[in-house]
Amino acid sequence: MSDRSGPGVAPATSASAARTADGGEPALSLVGVTRVFGGSRAVDAVDLEIREGEFFTIVGPSGSGKSTLLRMLAGLDRPSAGDILLRGRRVNDVPANARPTAMVFQSLALFDHMSVGDNIAFALKMRGVARLERMERARALLDVVHLPAAYIDKPVTQCSGGERQRVALARALASDPEILFFDEPLSAIDNRLRKLLQVEIKELHRRTGKTFVYITHALEEAMVMSDRVALMRAGRIVQVAPPLEIYDRPTSRFVAEFMGEVNVWRAVREAGAVTLPELGLAFPSETIPAPEGFLVARPEKLALLREGGAAPATIAGTIVDEFVLGSRKQIHLRPDGAGESARERPTVFGEIPADAAAPGPGARVRLGLAFADCRFVTE
Amino acid sequence: MASQDHSNDRSQDRSRAGPIAMAPVAALLVVGFLVPLVLVAWLSLMPERTFGLDAGLTGANYVTAVRDGYVVPLGWSLAFAAATTAICLLVSWPMAKVLARRGSAFALTVTILVALPIFVSESVRLFGTSLFLMPRGGILAGSVNALFGIQIGSILYTKTATLVGLVYVYLPFALFPMILGLAQVPRDQVDAARDLGASGWQVLREVELPNAMPGLLIGGLLVFVLAFGANTEANVLGGQSVAVITKSIDQRFSYAQDWPLGSALTILVAAITAAVVFPVLARIDLDRLLRR
Repeated sequence: MSDRSGPGVAPATSASAARTADGGEPALSLVGVTRVFGGSRAVDAVDLEIREGEFFTIVGPSGSGKSTLLRMLAGLDRPSAGDILLRGRRVNDVPANARPTAMVFQSLALFDHMSVGDNIAFALKMRGVARLERMERARALLDVVHLPAAYIDKPVTQCSGGERQRVALARALASDPEILFFDEPLSAIDNRLRKLLQVEIKELHRRTGKTFVYITHALEEAMVMSDRVALMRAGRIVQVAPPLEIYDRPTSRFVAEFMGEVNVWRAVREAGAVTLPELGLAFPSETIPAPEGFLVARPEKLALLREGGAAPATIAGTIVDEFVLGSRKQIHLRPDGAGESARERPTVFGEIPADAAAPGPGARVRLGLAFADCRFVTE
Repeated sequence: MASQDHSNDRSQDRSRAGPIAMAPVAALLVVGFLVPLVLVAWLSLMPERTFGLDAGLTGANYVTAVRDGYVVPLGWSLAFAAATTAICLLVSWPMAKVLARRGSAFALTVTILVALPIFVSESVRLFGTSLFLMPRGGILAGSVNALFGIQIGSILYTKTATLVGLVYVYLPFALFPMILGLAQVPRDQVDAARDLGASGWQVLREVELPNAMPGLLIGGLLVFVLAFGANTEANVLGGQSVAVITKSIDQRFSYAQDWPLGSALTILVAAITAAVVFPVLARIDLDRLLRR
């Protein structure tokens, strides 16, 4: 990742490549979509284009309006303003039961009074498909979601958590929707099962070629599964990009910090240099596109310097904490400094190899940083 | 070991607690319900117009009940009960749907307004209804005449008035269990059904009815049983237009002084009620309704 370019420079990215690769009409377009509850704007003037066949994930903390947005896309709620276009057709007033979309609910919302088969075949029953044919399709879908065919007559209440997830998935697929919506369906299950189902959903996406719109508060989940990710905050979309781009080139502190532990320092442009007042650091003969802002640096960009090693900028300090991540470990560094200013200095996050020789808590180390490895954001 | 013994004691305490807690109600039911029922059943097998319990068993009263045409009032009672149940359930449904969405001040106000009449004696309310429906000078007819100069007839002392009275009196008994039942309908299941293409009717049939069924059945049973055994509505509002079985029973016991025949009719009513109630009750998951 070190070959990525420096702050403020936007090279040709996979995002623009993808944009030109798919010239067709977007599966879903949102134009100024707003939803007001009482006095608050749960969703605030969202513009978005979701492409045909894309795995698109909307990530945000709870209360950011992502579920409200998804409910409007599914037709379970109506926007207060703005338009939702499904393949170019305005669907604001088309109710959920008339939209060619299906949703996997956070609660799964399985019909507890029905069997697994009747749950899966529900959409077909609503269309008046004969029972034998419905059950035939349900059996095929059981196979798709890796459930045994014998489950077809099992009461859905007797299924385990993971099985219920799969039934919900099969039920949404049964209507052969053009777009599938997922409202944090994996948030309530244990980690191992979640990883497994993530892989299966991703594989399902590849196999069906349908458009998937997925909602989660876990960025990690979004990173693993998505073609593109939209970050949402307080009803607004703050950045839309492929996962790697979100990771490498966040456009704001919020995005950078949402991605996990990251260094954010106040940066000031001065004559012929960029200074970081909090650390007492300066990058000579560098510049930033605004008088003031923030430099964002991922922990892995801070390299451990050997005795006598050099870097454009060095931060010396004492390791106060460490977290092993496998072959590498994250260290929390208290930068050197005397008197009052020492207290204001932020903890610096670095990442170093976790071998036996690596320094641990209490050790004094120097970390090196290149300006090109930092990302400048104004807010 | 000591602690184990202790916990054993406690679990035994708990298993004893059940019967002890039940004892007062059980005693009341034995004295007030079971004993009279057995007495009435026994009396219904005595020869006609006897008052003793040792005159020799006979089935003659049941033959008389059928031969003397008591099937007609029995039929009317059944018809009224069935119609009242159906109307109460239909009328309650939309209202219960609104009231089941808890938390609104509106819902609370409406609930109180619906419950309030229950605290007023049924007879008083029915005589009020009777005044309301009186022809000419009655509240309804009089007001219409005074305001619009139109003379309208009256349904007072008809079968319709009886039915109106029954629905009016027993509506809350259908409404409140139904609210409980509808509160069991998961909102997300309704959403899911809509999302999967269900129309309003399909949502009703596939999601709302099955989930609300316990409340619906309990409400329906309450209304049916109460309306089947109702007497006052037919007396006060129906006048001479219709004889219901409870009135016949009343007459057998009082004017006719034929206790055995009255008892036979009573047993018939109880048997029909049981035949309706028990099969339905077997289908209700009370635990679920009470959220246990």
